[in-house]
Amino acid sequence: MNLMPITAKELEYIADSMSNEDLLIKQCTAAAASCTNPQIQQVLLHQSQVHMQHYQALLNCLQQHQAIAPTQPQS
Amino acid sequence: MYASQQQPFMPDGDLAYTVLADLKRVTREYATAATESVCPTVRQQFTQLMNTTLAMQGELYTAMTQQKMYNAASPALRQEIDKQFKQYQSTQQKTNQFVQQRKSAIPSQSPQAFGNWAYQPAPQWQQQPPGYM
Repeated sequence: MNLMPITAKELEYIADSMSNEDLLIKQCTAAAASCTNPQIQQVLLHQSQVHMQHYQALLNCLQQHQAIAPTQPQS
Repeated sequence: MYASQQQPFMPDGDLAYTVLADLKRVTREYATAATESVCPTVRQQFTQLMNTTLAMQGELYTAMTQQKMYNAASPALRQEIDKQFKQYQSTQQKTNQFVQQRKSAIPSQSPQAFGNWAYQPAPQWQQQPPGYM
């Protein structure tokens, strides 16, 4: 596999993306709970599951890069 | 149901709209993240998440339109389209002339066809073997 150490910028994007996905999980779930329209409710419930998968994918990506990250600053 | 027993937190349309707005924002953020990634695996991951998020935005938008929660903007006028069409047709012609002029100065280029919507990658650049000349 084509794995390279991630840069500080990529780390920030991955972290920000996890914050975004976390917010979307909560938003979709809360919106589905107070929504009265069944079609919208169904879409929101389904999408909250997908956002949970996204979150896990980002977390896995971070974990993969943990092992190959340098422990000393590189020039 | 739970929601109907008390005053709703927000109208359904507003609830759905807050999620829709965030899906739009997150789609853009994934695109930016992908363009700025160095590791190919990370780039691929962001690209995949961007595509899925874009599909989810479309799914929610469609559901909202079906439930009459979203008013699409009114259609552009014919004369406005005509105006832009003429203007950009002329820009295209000028740009084509420019391209032809500059390209004629470059020796022997094989013409590339753009029949397909999928992006055709540039031909692989061949390094001349040492002692070629």
